[in-house]
Amino acid sequence: MSLSLRDMLKSNSLLSGTSACPGCPENMAMRMVGMALGNDVALIVIAGCSSVIQGLAPKNSYNFPVLNIAFAAGPPAASGMWRAYRQRNKNTTVVVWAGDGGTADIGFASLSGAAERNENFIYICVDNEAYMNSGGQRSGSTPFGAYTSTTPEGKKENKKEIMFIMMDHNIPYLATASVGYPHDFVNKLRKAKQIFGFKYVQVLTPDPYGWMFDPSKTVEVGKLAVQTCYWPLIEYDNGKLTVSPESLHCLDRSTRRPLKDFLQIQGRFKRITEEEYKALENYVDSMWEKIKKLMK
Amino acid sequence: MKIISGNEAVALAVKLARVGVVGIYPITPQTSIIEKLAEMKANGELDAEIIRVESEHAAMASTFGAAIAGVRAFTATSSQGLLYMHEMTWWVAGSRVPVVMVVATRAVGAPWNIWDENTDFMSERDSGWLMAFASNPQEALDLTLQAFRISEDERVYLPMMVGMDGFILSHMKTNVNIPSQDDVDLFLPSRKQPFVLDSESPVGMGNIFPPIEYMKLRHSIHEAILHSEEVIRKVGIEYQKITGINNYSTLNVKYKLDDADYAVVLMGAWAGDAMEAIDELRKQGLSVGLYRIRYIRPWSEEEITLALKDKKAILVIDRATSMGRGGPLYLELKSTLHHEQMCGVISGLGGVLLNKGDFKEIISRFVERAKQGNAKGITWYYPKGGEKIELKSPRYVEE
Repeated sequence: MSLSLRDMLKSNSLLSGTSACPGCPENMAMRMVGMALGNDVALIVIAGCSSVIQGLAPKNSYNFPVLNIAFAAGPPAASGMWRAYRQRNKNTTVVVWAGDGGTADIGFASLSGAAERNENFIYICVDNEAYMNSGGQRSGSTPFGAYTSTTPEGKKENKKEIMFIMMDHNIPYLATASVGYPHDFVNKLRKAKQIFGFKYVQVLTPDPYGWMFDPSKTVEVGKLAVQTCYWPLIEYDNGKLTVSPESLHCLDRSTRRPLKDFLQIQGRFKRITEEEYKALENYVDSMWEKIKKLMK
Repeated sequence: MKIISGNEAVALAVKLARVGVVGIYPITPQTSIIEKLAEMKANGELDAEIIRVESEHAAMASTFGAAIAGVRAFTATSSQGLLYMHEMTWWVAGSRVPVVMVVATRAVGAPWNIWDENTDFMSERDSGWLMAFASNPQEALDLTLQAFRISEDERVYLPMMVGMDGFILSHMKTNVNIPSQDDVDLFLPSRKQPFVLDSESPVGMGNIFPPIEYMKLRHSIHEAILHSEEVIRKVGIEYQKITGINNYSTLNVKYKLDDADYAVVLMGAWAGDAMEAIDELRKQGLSVGLYRIRYIRPWSEEEITLALKDKKAILVIDRATSMGRGGPLYLELKSTLHHEQMCGVISGLGGVLLNKGDFKEIISRFVERAKQGNAKGITWYYPKGGEKIELKSPRYVEE
């Protein structure tokens, strides 16, 4: 199923004049949500950059009905909302939009609860790998070795692999995406929309400020993450795990692009040692081994 | 008329109100409300969607989400659960969305204690909810039904919580008059709310407010609470007209008060014991009456002042604490009346039981002190005497 550019540009989910930083990947991802899901969407934004990007009330740069809410409240609020719509015979797609902090850390219990209940909404985790809205502190999703304002010596633990944890919830649909590959992201969201139950989509959103790269390079970094196999593009559909075309080369170690290409373009890995680099490579290896195992 | 517990009465009220979504999470002693609702759903008696969430925080959030999307929504909690959802109670009030919750009150840890105390309920006073407190299962049912109507009134548009003493009302069974579905349908029209989150007319809710707009919103909540007083009286009168149940034309309730020299003020289930004590003290020639606070928010300065300003002395009995300051009810009363002779008693914490005899002792002691012009300060009352406090390190209270 290929998706042409013409198919995508039907709905405008972002209005002009957002308060996003230059090169903001979340803005890009939000636009793709509109392209994928159209306008019959109710959006719940939990605390994070996206609560700010909308701009000051009463103005709002998201062309959706938006409910802003406290961290752990997104998934249960969405549970209440889709059930209310069902009672009112409405078919609105309910979407929770949360950062990696709201997903992997403070909001994890409620995310897990909603997944276990198989609530009928799409949960989008916008993963920029740190608490970027509060100034770039480490999160559970920050990778090993990365500089953040609370890990000036580099993080000593690996990234929490939420996608695997969510797979273990036996939800009907899960996918990962990168803003570097909009067609893939839009396609996956479209698929998610057709499925009843809990859908989890985690999109990598490289942050120019937190990751320390030039704001013109957001797409490039998003692509590099996939090409170097740091960020796998996968789909878990009805219990079956598949690797998306852009990531197929990662299944074979010898065809992977060197991880250095992804790390060197950013400032947050500037100080890692050769040993730490090896550890990061091992992390990528073990992730792909896990994926291969799950594909069988 | 049916013999049911307070929790069953609340569950029946939820059903009669044709609630659309209920977010449920168990916590003692609220649990049997949500169990009853789940049972009614399983039997096909209840139309509502039930969301069996993973925490009280989620219970409030799911109820909020449903309300925002345009259906009547309900949840219930107690104690630690209410504290856990505290973040969301503020969120709901700040969003000006009608929601109803029942709180079966219970002590707050540490240490663990499952018995009754009102501190959990009283700690929500600043959040922007309307807050009523029942004194028997009948009132728990009536106030829950009225709460939907009040909270959905366009002059209010605020969430409302109804409290009742845990176990004492939640689990005690008494005769309750249950209004018919037809009567409730007449009393409670379909839901009204200021904004519905709908893709047909998108609005943004809760994004960043500039300082002055934020302050205006807080101001509007304050004003809405003040205006709700009139709404509550009107709703109460109409409730009585349609269902024939009780008198709700005032926020708070008097008992043998008008001709009394001395007033006792309290709220909740132990009003029953206090009334019996007052009956007996009256026979002994003591001129005392009771003023039962039913609404903490709105706090009716007018009703309270009118009822109490001419009394020689006032005694306020709290089943809750504001640590280092006394009881919250006492502090509220004190800020309203500025009465020379006013004293507070704190008792009944963590399930400590007071009976008619205890109330007789508290009240007659108070009247004695008042006669000497010495009705001032806070006392901690322990049944059966002991109230000696020895300060050691760490400080503790010894009987």
